[in-house]
Amino acid sequence: MRTWLGRGTFAAIVVFGAATAEAQITTVIETPKRTTVAAQQAAARREEVAQDSIARITMTGMKEWVDSAAASLAIRPDTGTVPASDTAAATRRSTQPATQRSDSATATSGRSPVKATEFRDGARAPDTGTPVPTLAFLGAVMVLAGALLRRRPTPAAARRSRR
Amino acid sequence: MIKGGRARLRSRRAASTLLIAGGALVLVGSAASIARAAIARDAARSRWEEMEAGRAVTAARARVDGAGGWSTARGTPVARIVIPRLRLDEVVVEGVSDDDLRAGPGHMTGSALPGDSGNAVISAHRDRHFYPLGRIVVGDTIITESDRGTVTWTVAKLRVVDAEAAALHTSTTPLLTLTTCWPIRYFGPAPERLIVEATRIDASK
Repeated sequence: MRTWLGRGTFAAIVVFGAATAEAQITTVIETPKRTTVAAQQAAARREEVAQDSIARITMTGMKEWVDSAAASLAIRPDTGTVPASDTAAATRRSTQPATQRSDSATATSGRSPVKATEFRDGARAPDTGTPVPTLAFLGAVMVLAGALLRRRPTPAAARRSRR
Repeated sequence: MIKGGRARLRSRRAASTLLIAGGALVLVGSAASIARAAIARDAARSRWEEMEAGRAVTAARARVDGAGGWSTARGTPVARIVIPRLRLDEVVVEGVSDDDLRAGPGHMTGSALPGDSGNAVISAHRDRHFYPLGRIVVGDTIITESDRGTVTWTVAKLRVVDAEAAALHTSTTPLLTLTTCWPIRYFGPAPERLIVEATRIDASK
């Protein structure tokens, strides 16, 4: 009886004292708010770092671009002063190798490459594979498996079917 | 108990029927693909023979008009390739797309024609026209015929490269490059390519 009384009291405290407890917990919850601010600061910092690295990548790209532009101008020693239109042409030319680099990067990264159908220096050998042998093998295996399944029922199943 | 056994037997029979029917369909599809390739190959061969017959006329017209001779439209025969030791004798068509390669070995567009100065690239399926290339060795003789004349080549180099590797290069001297998938006997997309490079021994018109 005393045990029941004790348990009842505990339950009443839990149920009716929830409001007070909630108030207590609400006051304690203030601390996570501070961690949220810290997390926001950390996120902002991460973003800054990312932006920095993006800027670094852009700068690296710029350096490559400038280098390639310089190279494309260097192979034309007869041009003393380069007119504005020529510079534009040189820029167009200098961007071409960058495109090729990205193509080869795609090829090495294993993403679905475009089929090589036209010859150029450094081209891949054409894709000369056919699915016919694989399909024929698959078909033969399927027919064989089907025939085996039809011909050889397990002894238990055979006995059961006889019954 | 008997009912369960019968149901199991029935489902077994149904599965077997499905497997046999599916397998037969796949086999028929493969056979149809092989038959289509054989028809395309025969058509290319008869077209080549017609062109051979009119070769003198074409050459004379080219001399008069200054035109480049035979047509190099995709799918049309442009050359014939013979490797006597491997008993390989195929008509080469222009282009290396799936449709072109069904008819025979394909001449890679943009590469030189066999006999011209430069790299002439010819590719074919490993399971069809270039299947004998699995037995090719350095020193084998290759004969090509085209409107540039009959040229004899000798195999100088064999290479196996990754499918994605830069395998073809320009050349200032006459060079014949044959390519096919490698390994020759392989199920699924082959991971490598066999590159056969041959140098010219002699040429005759």
